Amino acid sequence: MPSNPSMSAAIVGAAESDKIGYIEEGTTSQLLAIQAISNVCNQVGIKPSEIEGLYATNTTNSIAEYLGIKPKVIDTTSVGGCSFVMHVHHAMMAINAGIIDIAVVAHGEAGWSGARKNQGKGTYRAGPGDPWQADVMWVNPYGTTGAPSQYSHAFTRHMHRYGSTQEQFAQIAVTTRDWATLNPRAIMFSKETNPAGGKIGISDVMNSRLISWPLKLLDVCLVTDHGGAVVIASAERARSFWTKPVWIAGAGETMSHQNMLEMDDFTATSARRSANVAYKMAGMGPREMELAMLYDSFTITAGITAELVGLTKLGEGPSLWEGGKAGPGGSGIPVNTNGGGLSFSHSGQYGMMLLIEAYRQLSGTAEDGVNGLPGKQTNAKTAIVNGTGGVLSVTANLVLVADD
Amino acid sequence: MAYNKPIPDPEPYSTQPFWDGAKQGKLMLPRCTDCNRAHFYPRIICPFCHSRDIEWFEASGEGWVHTFAVQHRAFGGWADEAPFVTAYIDLKEGDRMFTVLRGVDAAKPDLSWVGKKVKVEFDEANENVHVPYWRVV
Repeated sequence: MPSNPSMSAAIVGAAESDKIGYIEEGTTSQLLAIQAISNVCNQVGIKPSEIEGLYATNTTNSIAEYLGIKPKVIDTTSVGGCSFVMHVHHAMMAINAGIIDIAVVAHGEAGWSGARKNQGKGTYRAGPGDPWQADVMWVNPYGTTGAPSQYSHAFTRHMHRYGSTQEQFAQIAVTTRDWATLNPRAIMFSKETNPAGGKIGISDVMNSRLISWPLKLLDVCLVTDHGGAVVIASAERARSFWTKPVWIAGAGETMSHQNMLEMDDFTATSARRSANVAYKMAGMGPREMELAMLYDSFTITAGITAELVGLTKLGEGPSLWEGGKAGPGGSGIPVNTNGGGLSFSHSGQYGMMLLIEAYRQLSGTAEDGVNGLPGKQTNAKTAIVNGTGGVLSVTANLVLVADD
Repeated sequence: MAYNKPIPDPEPYSTQPFWDGAKQGKLMLPRCTDCNRAHFYPRIICPFCHSRDIEWFEASGEGWVHTFAVQHRAFGGWADEAPFVTAYIDLKEGDRMFTVLRGVDAAKPDLSWVGKKVKVEFDEANENVHVPYWRVV
């Protein structure tokens, strides 16, 4: 008998790897994942041996083997940066089916260290691939060099279709940076911690180096080392830990394409469909969302996603950030309060960072204020969390709600 | 001058007619004999109706710019050409191809390029592979 899985599971903890950012001594993707799992287990008060379902984009059985655990459900869904948001959906389904009570979603990615190790050997992710694969045969010969060089085509089409401007999208980078200046963990927290850090203005974005017109350097996410993990527990177990639950009210996932050759509408991802499934499951809508964590691999990604998850009209995505209203103390819904992939951290697959920040905000543990600063904690009790993967290819959405 | 860009490695099972046509300066496209729709990239199954009956035909070699970008960062043979314009092309017969767009000034990107009419041309990369490029006409 099918049942609505809404509220059948909760995120009960969220933690990062021992270090995040630019790890000078080097690291590996698996080490980052192991650290994060260990840290989140300590946070919620469980042993890794209690993990019944393990979800990751790194080979999951390799992580389980390293930890010496034997989960009942192992899932290596790896479809890009949104995968971790999908993993929460998958874990909730396994919990709702009564197969497991405790799951861990883990992420580890040596985006910066890996690239450095492979310098001179080509980039570590944009490997040559199977030469007979469609994108390798029909796209790569034309000199594009990974995500920015493709996402820019969507930016152009949005400006053409809706009359949007580069300046409007630049505001997304500016507001996201404002949040980063309240997050001491953020790469771009301050000028003291990073010469390129601290507040920026629209002209800084507009005058930054051209990467793939219309994308400039400050429209583009960081490339870092990062690990993170969240624990998901059944409703029966969710209040038995040291930490507060944040309930999974809705979840949805879908895709439109893998290769941009097959992207029907360059101004839209599949987020409209995946968000609608999540809203319907939750019995809530975009107007009830008090926080938005929108995947910001690029300003264009977050900008169009705002439209597709129903926070603005179609074509008006950047208006969500207009005049800084999505920023600290702004009059609108707060967006990407950790500083985003643009200014906090982005290892290549950013989905886990969305989950961790959403958990912290809704569990009241997002206070990163230092030296008397107010920090980034908001009053949000609900959140829409959108992951986007590939080249605007795959999306996953969650509706999360705080505990009573 | 020898072709110094990445050269596609033709997959013989579902794309050979494309490359045979390219050598003669013809744009060959696959089309489903059941629903009559052309598709690109070439497949062994129609992505619209899932028929396995695919034929090849000579297309007009005409299309329109759907969207574009200007690449300022590139590697290998492309590094010397940066900045250059890449574009998705709406084919007259339906569906899309990706290309480096010719006949525009990469230093002056202009949204009015979207919708411009383009024609295909082929560069000889080696004796087996002629690479399609599209030029604004």
